[in-house]
Amino acid sequence: MSRRSALASLGAAGLLLLSGCGGAPTSGPAPGSDQPTAAEAVYAEVDPLTGAARHDRLVELAAQEGNTLSLYTSLNADIADIVVPQFEQATGVHVDVYRADSETVLQRTLQEASAGFAGADVVETNATQMAIIATQGLTGDYEGEQRNKINEQFRYEGWTPTRFNIFAPAWNTNLVRADLVPHRWEDLADPKYDGILSLEVSDYDWYMTLHTYYEQQGMPAADIDRLFADMVQGSKVAKGHSGQVELLSAGEFGVVAASYTYLTNKARVNGAPVDDQPFVEPVVARANGAGLLRSSKHPATAMLFMDWMLNDGQKIILDNGLTPAVMPDGTDPLAGHQVLPVDVQQLIEEGNDWSARYDELVRGGEQLPEK
Amino acid sequence: MATLATRARRPGALARWREVLLRPRTLVAAAITVVVGYLALIPLVYLLWTTFSDAQGFSLGGFARAYGDARIGELVGNSLWFAAGAAVLSLAVGTALAYFNVRTDVPFKALFFAASIIPLIIPGILYTIAWIFLASPTIGLLNSLLEPVLGPGTFDVFTVWGMIWVEGLHLSPIAFLFMVAAFRSTDPSLEESSLMSGATRVQTFRRVTLPLVRPALLSAALIMGVRSLESFEVPALLGLQNGIYVFTSRIYQVLRSFPVDFAGAGALAVGLLAVAALGIWLSNVLSRGHAGGTITGKGFRPRPIDLGRWKPVVGGGILLYFFVTVLAPLMVLLYTALLPYYRPPSAEAFASMNLDNFVAVFNLPSVPTALRNSLVLGGGAATIVMALMAVAAWVVVRSGIPGRQLLDHIAFSPLVIPGLVLGVGIAFVYLRSPLPIYGTLLILLIAYCTRYLPYGMRYAVSGMQTISAELEESAQVSGAGWWSTFRRVLLPLIAPALLAGWVYIFVVSFRELSSSILLYTPGNEVLSISIWELYANARFGELSALGVIMVLVLAVLVAVAYKVGARVGLKS
Amino acid sequence: MLTISNLVKSFAGEASRRRATAGRVLAVDDVSLEVGEGEMFTLLGPSGCGKTTTLRAVAGLERPDSGRIVVGDRVLFDGEGLNVPANRRGLGMVFQSYAIWPHMTVFDNVAFPLQVRKRSQRPGKREIRERVAKVLETMELGHLADRQATKLSGGQQQRLALARAIIIEPPLMLLDEPLSNLDAKLRESLRYELKRLQRELGITSVYVTHDQIEALALSTTIAVMKEGNVLQTGRPREVYETPNCRFVAEFIGTSNFLRGRVAAREGDRVDIDTEAGRVRLESAARVPVGAEVLAAVRPESLEISTTGWGNRVNEWPGTVTNRAFLGDAIDHIVRVGQGSLRVRGNPSVSIKPGTEIFVATEPGKVTLVPVG
Repeated sequence: MSRRSALASLGAAGLLLLSGCGGAPTSGPAPGSDQPTAAEAVYAEVDPLTGAARHDRLVELAAQEGNTLSLYTSLNADIADIVVPQFEQATGVHVDVYRADSETVLQRTLQEASAGFAGADVVETNATQMAIIATQGLTGDYEGEQRNKINEQFRYEGWTPTRFNIFAPAWNTNLVRADLVPHRWEDLADPKYDGILSLEVSDYDWYMTLHTYYEQQGMPAADIDRLFADMVQGSKVAKGHSGQVELLSAGEFGVVAASYTYLTNKARVNGAPVDDQPFVEPVVARANGAGLLRSSKHPATAMLFMDWMLNDGQKIILDNGLTPAVMPDGTDPLAGHQVLPVDVQQLIEEGNDWSARYDELVRGGEQLPEK
Repeated sequence: MATLATRARRPGALARWREVLLRPRTLVAAAITVVVGYLALIPLVYLLWTTFSDAQGFSLGGFARAYGDARIGELVGNSLWFAAGAAVLSLAVGTALAYFNVRTDVPFKALFFAASIIPLIIPGILYTIAWIFLASPTIGLLNSLLEPVLGPGTFDVFTVWGMIWVEGLHLSPIAFLFMVAAFRSTDPSLEESSLMSGATRVQTFRRVTLPLVRPALLSAALIMGVRSLESFEVPALLGLQNGIYVFTSRIYQVLRSFPVDFAGAGALAVGLLAVAALGIWLSNVLSRGHAGGTITGKGFRPRPIDLGRWKPVVGGGILLYFFVTVLAPLMVLLYTALLPYYRPPSAEAFASMNLDNFVAVFNLPSVPTALRNSLVLGGGAATIVMALMAVAAWVVVRSGIPGRQLLDHIAFSPLVIPGLVLGVGIAFVYLRSPLPIYGTLLILLIAYCTRYLPYGMRYAVSGMQTISAELEESAQVSGAGWWSTFRRVLLPLIAPALLAGWVYIFVVSFRELSSSILLYTPGNEVLSISIWELYANARFGELSALGVIMVLVLAVLVAVAYKVGARVGLKS
Repeated sequence: MLTISNLVKSFAGEASRRRATAGRVLAVDDVSLEVGEGEMFTLLGPSGCGKTTTLRAVAGLERPDSGRIVVGDRVLFDGEGLNVPANRRGLGMVFQSYAIWPHMTVFDNVAFPLQVRKRSQRPGKREIRERVAKVLETMELGHLADRQATKLSGGQQQRLALARAIIIEPPLMLLDEPLSNLDAKLRESLRYELKRLQRELGITSVYVTHDQIEALALSTTIAVMKEGNVLQTGRPREVYETPNCRFVAEFIGTSNFLRGRVAAREGDRVDIDTEAGRVRLESAARVPVGAEVLAAVRPESLEISTTGWGNRVNEWPGTVTNRAFLGDAIDHIVRVGQGSLRVRGNPSVSIKPGTEIFVATEPGKVTLVPVG
C-alpha cells in the first residue's frame, strides 16, 4: 500500500469514528415533548372529518406524501401477509412492513424515538406494548367514526384496538357431558374437573384480571387464592395456546380454563369436537391495537391505513378466525357479554408480580411438555 | 554474550522514531487498528456505558439486580457446564476426525467435506429444531423408534446434556476445520520418529501429535468455549423449556421485559465477558512456550498412517458421525418439509407427502429479497473481514510493533458480546449518527463485520503463524517493499487460511439472527429473519422447506468457493 | 567492499537468555570488519556468537543499535538515522531454510527480485525470462523452471535459493548457513560448487557457518566470533595454523595443548618447559621468560617413530595408550611425560597400545597461544 492510500484509509476511519460519536442523543424532537409535530397537525385536521370528505382528503394527502407507509407490527405473518397486500391493492399505497414479536416492536419503537429517528408511521401490536408506547407520548390522537363504534371499555388514549383476544373456557364435546360444561369461572375449581382441566403456563394476564375482579366483588383474598389453587389442583399445565387446543381436540384433557376464543373457533370450524358456547361470563378480553406516531413522515397515509384497518380490515380479521374490534356490520363483537378488559395499565405496573405469582401457582399442576 | 548495563541516549533516536512512524507499514497498521477498533469497540463501549451508568451517573445497580437474583449461581453453573461440555465434545470429535482425515488412510474421506461444512450451513435454529424433531421426549423420531425396546422418552433434548449434545455437534465442524489446518502444518516425520522410538500409535498421538498441535488445540478450545457461552439459539430453544437459564437466554429475557433493564442485561454481558477473559488468559498461560509446527521453505509430503485392522472400526465411526451430524438433521428437515403438517412417520404420513411447502416458500414475498440480501451481506462481510484481518494478523504476528497484541485483543472482544447486545449497541449508535446508515443494509454489514472479526482474526493469525519468517525476509532482501511482500508472498501463503475464514464467515452470516432481528428494516430482510418469522409463526413445514433450500444453496456456493480456492495458494 | 564499523546490537533480555542489568543482552558487541572485493568472507563461530545477527544487520533485517555499515561506497546504516530498508539494499541472501516460496514455481521464485523492482528499473518481461533462464542454466535448474518449488530435492532447493540471490547481480551476497540442512555427501559436493560459483561470478560474499571445515574449505577470509566479538580475522591457513587464542585453536580443527612456562627466548625462538618436556617453537610474540603459556600443536603436525630420530629439537619418548582408525588417517593417543598428545598419521602405520614410541615435530609447527 502506498503511503497516500494508507493515509486516506486512516482519514476514512477517523471520519467514521467521528460520525459514531458526533450525534448527541438529544438530536431531533425529544420523545414526550409537548410541542405538536407536523404529523399531529395532519391528525388534528383530519380527525373531525367524516365519510367521503375524510377519505378523499386522506387520499389526496397520502398522494402528496408519496403513497408509502412504514408499518411495525407483531401481527402473525400469515395474517399480515393478507392484510397488507389487500390494503396496498385498495389504496395503491406501498407498505414497508417490519414484523417481529411484540417485545421487539416495542423496543425498536422506543429506541428509534429516543434517537429522534422517524421509523414507523403506524405501530400495531399487543395491548401492553401499545399502552407503553402511548404513555411515552409517542402516538398522536386518532378520532373517527369507526373508533367510536368500538366497545367503550377499550377506547384507549393514544391507540385504538384492531382486534380482541377473548379468554373463555373451552371443552371437548365428546368428553364433556352437559353436567361438566362450565357456566361460571368458579365452576372450574370444582373437584369434578380434577384430571380433565388444563391451564396455560403464561396466562398471568387472565389470572390478574380475574383475581382483581373477584377482589372488586368483595371476595376475601384467601378465598380467591383458594379458588385458583383448587383450579390448579389436578390440572394439566400446557405451554402455548395453539398446542393446548390441539390437545383438547385430541382428547388429552376435557376442558381448557382460558382458551383464546378464536383458536377454539378455528378448531371447531375444522371439525374438531370442541366448543366454548355459551361463553362463561364475564369474558376476559384483551385488545391488540394500533397507534399513529407523532413523528410520522406519512401521517395522512397512516390515518388512511388506520381507517381502512377499522373498516375493510376488520372483515379480513374476522374471515381469518380472529375477533375484530368492530364487526363488519358496525356492531360490537362483545355486545351482550359482560366484559372484563385486561387492565393494561395494571399490567404494565404490576405485570411482573402477577407473572411470578402465576408461575408459582401453576407449578402445582402436572406439567405437560410443549406441543 | 556481553551485557549492557546503562547506555547513554543513542544518537539519532528521534530520527529513528520519525522513520519508524512514517513507514508505510506503520501507517497501515495504524489504519487497521483504527478500523478494527472502531468496529469492535463501539458495542463494547456502549455495553460498558449502559452497564455502569444510570440517570444519576456511575452505578452498579445493574449488577445488584442481575446478580442479586437467587438463581444466579445456577445460571453461572449452567453456563459453564454447557460451554465446557459443548467445547469438549466438539473438540474431541473435531480433533479425532481431523487426525484421521489428515494423517491416516481412513475410508470415506469424501464424506469429511460434507460432514465438516453442512452442519455449519444449517442455521442454529434449524439444527436445534431438527434435534427437537429427533430427540424430544414426546415427539422425537428417535424416541418413537426406540420406544418398543426402551420405553418412551429415552432421549430428552430439553436438558443441559441435550444442549451440550446439539451445540457440541453443531460446533464440531469448526473444531474439525481448525485442527485439519494444524495437522497439515506439522511435519509427520516428528510422529514417525516417535513410532521409531518404539511408541505405539496411541502413545505417539498423545505424546507427540497432541503437544505439537497444542497451540491450535488451545486456540480452538477457547473459540469453542466462548462460542458456546455466547450461543443463543440452543439455550433459548432447548433450555427455556425447563427453566434452564444461561447468560445469553437470561439477557434475552431481560431485554424483552419493560422497562428494559439495559444495565442489568449489560451486567450479565459483562459477566460473560469476564468468564471469556478468564478463558483467554488461561489459554495464553497454557500455550506459553509451546511453538507449533511451521511451514518452512522446505516441503514435506505427509504419508498417511496405515490404520490396519482398526480401519473398519474408524470407518464405521466416521459413518456414524456423518449420520448423526449431517444426515439425520437434514433428513428430518426434509421429512418435515414434505409433510403438510408434522407427525411421526407412518404409512399415511408418507402418503400425504407433497411439495406444497416448497411452493409456498417461493411465494413468500420476502424470500427472494432475503436471499439476495443474505448473499450480499455474507459475501461483503466475509470479504471485508478477511481483508482487514489479513493485514491485522500480520501486524499481530509479524510487525514487531509495540503493543500489537492490543489489536488482537480488540479484534477478539466482539466474540464475547452477545449478538442481542451488539444489535442494541449498534442500533443505538447509528440511530444518532448523521450518516444515513440506520435503516439500510449497511448497518447489517457493520454488525456482521463486527460479529465475525474474531473468527477472521483467528483464521488469519493461525495462518500467519504457520508461515516461517524467513519467507517474508527473503522477499524483503530480494527488493520487495512491504506491500509487494504482503501481496506476492504472504497473501498467497495464507490464502488457504483466508479462504477458510471467508467461507466460514460467509456461511455463518447466513444464520446470524440475534443482531439482525434488531437491525433489519423492511426491504432489508435476510434469510435468517425469514426462518425466524416462520418459526415464530410455527410454520414448521415451510420453515423446513426453506431450510432445505438454504442448505442446498449454501452447499453449492461453498463447493464453488472451494473449487475456486483450490486454484489459489498452496497446491497440496 | 563491505565495511562494518563498531556494530552494536542488543536484544531485550528474554527469560531463556542471560539477563543484563538493564534488561538487554548484547548479541553483537562492537564488531568491525572489512570485506574486500570478490572475497568469500566467513563469519565462523558457535551458535549464539552473533554471526547471524551481524549478517542480518548487513541484510537490513535487524536494526543495529549503533555502528556503521557500508557496501561499496553506499552507506546502508550509520547509526544516526540512516537505515536503508532491506528491500532497498539490493543485496542477495540465501537463508538457512532456503525460504523458497512454496506457492511459486521455480521460475517465479527466481524472477521475483526482478519483478518487484520499481517500474522504472524493472526489466521487460522478455529480459526477465532470459535472465532467469540464464541463471537457472548456470545452476543446472533450467529443465525445472516450471516445476512447483516445493517439488525440488534438497540440493535443488539450495541451488534455487542461490539462483534467486544472484539474479539481480548483487554487489554482496549473504549466506546464512546455507548448507546446514543438507546431508553430508551433498554438503561436500555443494561446498565446492559454491566455491566455484563464487569465483566464477566474482560476487563478494559473506558466509555464516558454525562448521569450521566448511569455513576452511570455502573462505578467502575467516572471522571467528564468540559472544558478540570477533576474536581473529585472517586467511584460513593463518587462522588454522596460528590461532591467536585458545578458543580459536580449539574451535578450528583439533589441537594438542601443552601448558608450560617460558624457559628461554632467543629472537623468535622460544623454549617452553611443559608437562610433556621441553618444547621449542617459533613466535614473534615477546613473551618474558617465566611467563605461563600454552603451546598448541595440530595432531597432523606430529610425527611418530618406533625407533626415534635422536637428533630432533622437539622429540619426546612416550607410550601409545589408544588408537582410532579414521579411514584416511589413523590417530594414536600417546602419553608423553605428564601430558597426552593426539598424533594423526598415515593409516598404514598402526601401532598397538602399550608400545613405547617417539613423537616429534618441527618448531615452526608449534604455536604459542597466550593464556587467558
